[in-house]
Amino acid sequence: MSNASETLRADAPVIGPNLNLESMTDRISRIALRERAHAWWWIAFIPSAALTLLLIVAIAYLFYEGIGIWGVNWPVMWGFAILCYVWWIAIASGGTIISALFFLVHAEWRTSINRIAESMMLFGAAAAGIYPVLHLGRPWLFYWLFFYPNTMTLWAQFRSPLLWDFWALFTYVFASVLFWYVGLLPDLASVRDRAERGLKQRMYAVFAMGFRGSSGQWRHLRAVYGVMAAIMTPVVISIHSIVGLDFAGAATTGWHVTQFPPFFVCGALLSGFAIVLLLIIPLRRFLNLEDMVTGRHIGVLAKLLLTSSLLLAYAYLMDAFSACYGGNPGDLALLAARLHGEYAPVYWGAVLFNVLLPQLLWSRKLRVHIPTLMLLSLGVVIGMWMERYLIVVTSLSRPTLVSAWGVFHPTFWDWATLAGTVGLFLSGILLSVRFVPVVAMHEMRALIVSAQARSE
Amino acid sequence: MATLLATFASETELERALERFPADRWPALETYSPLPLSGQPEQSPLPALMFAAGMLGFFGFFFLMAYADTQGYPHNIGGRPAFAWPAFIPIAFELGVLCAMVAGFVGYFVVCRLPKLYDEVDEFDGSRRGLCDRWLLCVRIDAAKGLSEAHAIFRTLNPESLEERA
Repeated sequence: MSNASETLRADAPVIGPNLNLESMTDRISRIALRERAHAWWWIAFIPSAALTLLLIVAIAYLFYEGIGIWGVNWPVMWGFAILCYVWWIAIASGGTIISALFFLVHAEWRTSINRIAESMMLFGAAAAGIYPVLHLGRPWLFYWLFFYPNTMTLWAQFRSPLLWDFWALFTYVFASVLFWYVGLLPDLASVRDRAERGLKQRMYAVFAMGFRGSSGQWRHLRAVYGVMAAIMTPVVISIHSIVGLDFAGAATTGWHVTQFPPFFVCGALLSGFAIVLLLIIPLRRFLNLEDMVTGRHIGVLAKLLLTSSLLLAYAYLMDAFSACYGGNPGDLALLAARLHGEYAPVYWGAVLFNVLLPQLLWSRKLRVHIPTLMLLSLGVVIGMWMERYLIVVTSLSRPTLVSAWGVFHPTFWDWATLAGTVGLFLSGILLSVRFVPVVAMHEMRALIVSAQARSE
Repeated sequence: MATLLATFASETELERALERFPADRWPALETYSPLPLSGQPEQSPLPALMFAAGMLGFFGFFFLMAYADTQGYPHNIGGRPAFAWPAFIPIAFELGVLCAMVAGFVGYFVVCRLPKLYDEVDEFDGSRRGLCDRWLLCVRIDAAKGLSEAHAIFRTLNPESLEERA
């Protein structure tokens, strides 16, 4: 993995001193145009593709046999499918925050990691998006959620957060693809112009749609991309808030809390930043991007990880406080089960990984210490999964009536589907790293030109 | 009819060239650059189009939901009012956003007349660096007199390369 001996500085400039327009365009285009993939790429891709195949098998078997193959049963009717959905959509949301929100605030460090964050958003949303459909029980009837004239003159239930969630997810996935593609057009065109004549050049030419960098094309691109970024920022907040409302809208123990929407957004930020770190740290080394993704980027992401961890700590505190303050016996029993009952390992695991360990990042040195960051980020990814497990499984297994309590046991197919979505996510990221310009070249050029102007 | 393509090493040089080719005298001018030009006007109809589409989507779907729940299929759920307008806001917002995004996306290709897989400028060798590190000025000229005048101007500007195609 990464070179532990590398010394990074958080106050390093956002681009290396020797980077110029030609060398940057050439290096990034060459990554996409490479005839044969690197050995590391195959080493990462083969297991990821194998896991994706496992996902296909798991889905095929689910369609054949029904959701009885999963561990869901009364009272835990939302098992892995929903908890993994929430976990994945949080990861995707972190990518959108980097690509949209930090674009609006003109954060220079966003430029070189924007494309990786966007790929993460796309494939995180893809991994998330399949879960609710699979969980429908009769997935072939998913189109009942659309507004459409039907012979039963029946409309969808617009007052349900579950329907809001369907539309939020639909919009988020669709809008993410459009946002990603518009930002990609100039870079696809750059690769097209550097490709040798042949199939690859034709493919890039088709996807670049004839973008040539004329004054009109740039002018409209800037306008449309800016508005899209301004739209995507509230959309990403809305999607995770609505996911929070899926829970808060139900009169279930542990869920019926007004803080759920912001609580979910804080979790999304934390897991998003962690996955971005987990992706850019190895990629900058394997793709030789050290002078484009510098200590500055890593330091800023580490600070953001710490900030979102503190936000989440507040949400955890408030969650416990509202149970105590509300005094509902069901909520209190659930809190006790989490603090010192059978769910204590999961609860304290989430607290350890999401809140306590990230506090190490108060240290300036550790914020750019690669092995520490990798371990902390991996811990956060696991910790966030535990948090989703706590929210989905423990609440449902402890309804208000003690006689209705139950235990959830995930099956092999639950784990297989989870592993499969991890494979899908990684395969998507690896394919995009292989064929799509991995850095937003047209945005990097602005940084390089202004750095050159400053040095002159 | 001839087309000239001059290549410059920086945006400043391109700007200087543009000053020598005023748009009223040279209507068939086009620039190609690796990043948006800084001094260019920023007008675009797309933000207004996206706003209009977003509003249309928001109110259109809001009224669709209001119609469905009050006229099309009113159903009583726990005694809640049929016209539960706050509950219609999230979907109306999401679909308004979706309409705005689609309008911006489609609008971009319509306004820029894309896709356009072939353009005359592709024939010039210099065009291959237009999205890398060179700033290009393309002048299309109808009359022979204009062509010699353009050549004279370019000679004073000293571009990195100058190509001509009939």
